[in-house]
Amino acid sequence: MTLSRRHFLAAGSAIAAAGLTGCGSRSSLGGSHELSMWTWVGSVNDDLIGQAEKAIPGYDGMKLAMTRIGSNYKTKVLTALAGKSLVPDIVAINDDVATYFPNADQFYDLNELGAKDLEKDFLPWKWKWGVTPEGKMMAYPMDTGPTALFYRTDIFQKAGVDIDPAAVAGVAPDWDAYIALGKKLKQAVPGSAITDNITSIYGYRMAQQSKRYMTPDGQYLGDQDHVRQAFDLAVRVVKEGLSANAQNSSDKNAVVTNGKLVAFMGAVWWAQLGPKNAAPKTKGLWRVTAAPGGAGNKGGSFLAITKYCKNPKAAFAFISWLESAKNQAQAFLDPVLFPSTPASYTDPKLSAPDPFFGGQKIVDVFAESAKKYPGAYFSPYDTIIDTPISAELVNIEASGKDPDQAWADAQRQVERELTRAGAI
Amino acid sequence: MAVTSKTAPVVTTTTASTAEKPPNKYKQAFPQYAAVSPFFILFAIFGAFPVLFSIWISFHSWDGIGQMKWVGLEQYNYLLSDVTFWKTIGNTMIIWVLSTVPMLLLALVIANALHNATRLRTFYRIAYFIPNVTSVVAITLVFGSIFSNNFGLLNAFLRSIGVGEVQWLTSPWGIKIAIATIVTWRWVGYNAIIYLAGLQAISADVYEAAKVDGASPRQTFWRITVPMMRPVILFTAVTSTIGGLQIFTESRVLFGDTNNIGGPGDAGLTIVSYLYQSAFIKNQFGYGAAIGWALFILIVLFSIINWRLIGGNDDERLTRRAARRVERRIAAQNAKREAADVR
Repeated sequence: MTLSRRHFLAAGSAIAAAGLTGCGSRSSLGGSHELSMWTWVGSVNDDLIGQAEKAIPGYDGMKLAMTRIGSNYKTKVLTALAGKSLVPDIVAINDDVATYFPNADQFYDLNELGAKDLEKDFLPWKWKWGVTPEGKMMAYPMDTGPTALFYRTDIFQKAGVDIDPAAVAGVAPDWDAYIALGKKLKQAVPGSAITDNITSIYGYRMAQQSKRYMTPDGQYLGDQDHVRQAFDLAVRVVKEGLSANAQNSSDKNAVVTNGKLVAFMGAVWWAQLGPKNAAPKTKGLWRVTAAPGGAGNKGGSFLAITKYCKNPKAAFAFISWLESAKNQAQAFLDPVLFPSTPASYTDPKLSAPDPFFGGQKIVDVFAESAKKYPGAYFSPYDTIIDTPISAELVNIEASGKDPDQAWADAQRQVERELTRAGAI
Repeated sequence: MAVTSKTAPVVTTTTASTAEKPPNKYKQAFPQYAAVSPFFILFAIFGAFPVLFSIWISFHSWDGIGQMKWVGLEQYNYLLSDVTFWKTIGNTMIIWVLSTVPMLLLALVIANALHNATRLRTFYRIAYFIPNVTSVVAITLVFGSIFSNNFGLLNAFLRSIGVGEVQWLTSPWGIKIAIATIVTWRWVGYNAIIYLAGLQAISADVYEAAKVDGASPRQTFWRITVPMMRPVILFTAVTSTIGGLQIFTESRVLFGDTNNIGGPGDAGLTIVSYLYQSAFIKNQFGYGAAIGWALFILIVLFSIINWRLIGGNDDERLTRRAARRVERRIAAQNAKREAADVR
């Protein structure tokens, strides 16, 4: 067929017509033998996905069609759901899973698909996070983000601190002791910092607690002592000069690369994002130990099956296969996702010594943290509450705002936002 | 496509209807309407509908997925008492002044230089225009490492000449200067090219006449170039105002890694970034739409101000001014005469 104008126009209008009618007739994305899935880059193990793209285990006729979304992931998922058509069958959800709860009717109840029987395999607090207050199992656990203390042995040696992980955990069992240790490090090596910025301290302190911003029955807790204490602790670290004042991602990387950050309380994924990516030359110098103030969790994600799914049974078979203890262990190797299934922690893939951490078996530290973490209730409004508080903390560090004023301003803003959202 | 299709049917339908008996006007014109319809259909779907829909959303509370809840003017009410919103207007204005004023002045200078350049003219023109067609995300990433607090080129330079570091990306003014610099760098060449086109349209005769009359280069510039360029300057002023009020990408990329896309203290939060933050990060689409309409009103206001300041009805204003001048002169003469009479 030669490309005449008439052919071109005919083909164009045919495509346009197909596109327009297509919107009305199908609701789930992909062909009838495909399960479409959206996730962000680096949230799944590529080998496992490659297997499912050939055939879903147990469902030979079905194949996975994976889309990795580079940026603005959540916006795109919400847009697809709002459009009510061409919605992916399976979506990944980040640690803000509770913000989806008001729209839980957009997803399948996984308990009805057989999730109930698998609950025993998972960390109890992680499992609970995917269940709505009404008891609907909306999201299935993927990875977790147990926290620990990362530190540079070379700097600790200069400050005369025993670098053995157990010894460091003994020196800094709580935050007071950790700040004292930080001062000692700073004396030995001027310019040293124990956090990249003020919000990290606040966020990680909050991540250790058994309550956060709201009770499950909707009572606001964000103005109570446990929040104020975390707020004051973060301010104290800054006032002691132990923060590197790195507020954006390139600066956060920079303080790891240039060695300013000599210790950091972080989640397991920071091992990759922080030192391994930003300071490969420090290989062998880092160790990990139990964090001051106890076990905690920050981050971790979920999988959900949308109500548009063309074959929910196959979709559930796929996600329970992908998140089995064995496969989660593989996802730890690449791209360093920490399993939510305790059985994985003894898998040889995880317990191999890590040369970047001087041959330490870092999984032991994080597994301990994951098992001990008390769990806390995340409300759908946690993001709304957290944003003004964190923003005011940045004001304290970046422009020297008075902490009491900042606290008052944050609370006023939170109240305004919660009132508008109809939460209080 | 849009331009040609708009004019075509008018001509053909009028000639057709005069040639034959009247009825069936629409049927006859159908092929023409069909031919121009793709633009209007696409515009209705992707242009008109979203605009109208955003008005509708702005009267609702909507998280993007669930039911839309009618709240009347509540979103606008909240907007008026929202400290952050007023702050974003302030931020946007400051960034706009910091970028537009140096940008337009610089553009005029560059345009003059380009106009008088004798060698490598095309090369220079392209060189100045290239920033405008470069991805703004890439530009911002580069500028981000220039202004970075900890490893920035600029701070390294300041250290090397013995001046202290500046916390560019955490201090309120540092952030605004950084964003304004990116905007200026990107748009100065574009405006220079437009000015150049304006300069080339001024007849050489005028300049020659001025030279014969013994005008200095400075006088020539202020009394001939600038007045004759007035429509062009108005155009650039209006477009930079509209562009300046919509600054978004720069702060989005500079501080894009957190929920707080305005940077520390929201110092780089512009109106559009606040719109984006409300609608797409906090999922308050109703509020985002309300911000959008507030921005629309602002842009209309500023366009009118620009129009009155730089453009306006030239002849009328000049004659009025001349008349006033004559009046004043007569009054002065009268006063002098009176004074003389008294003596």
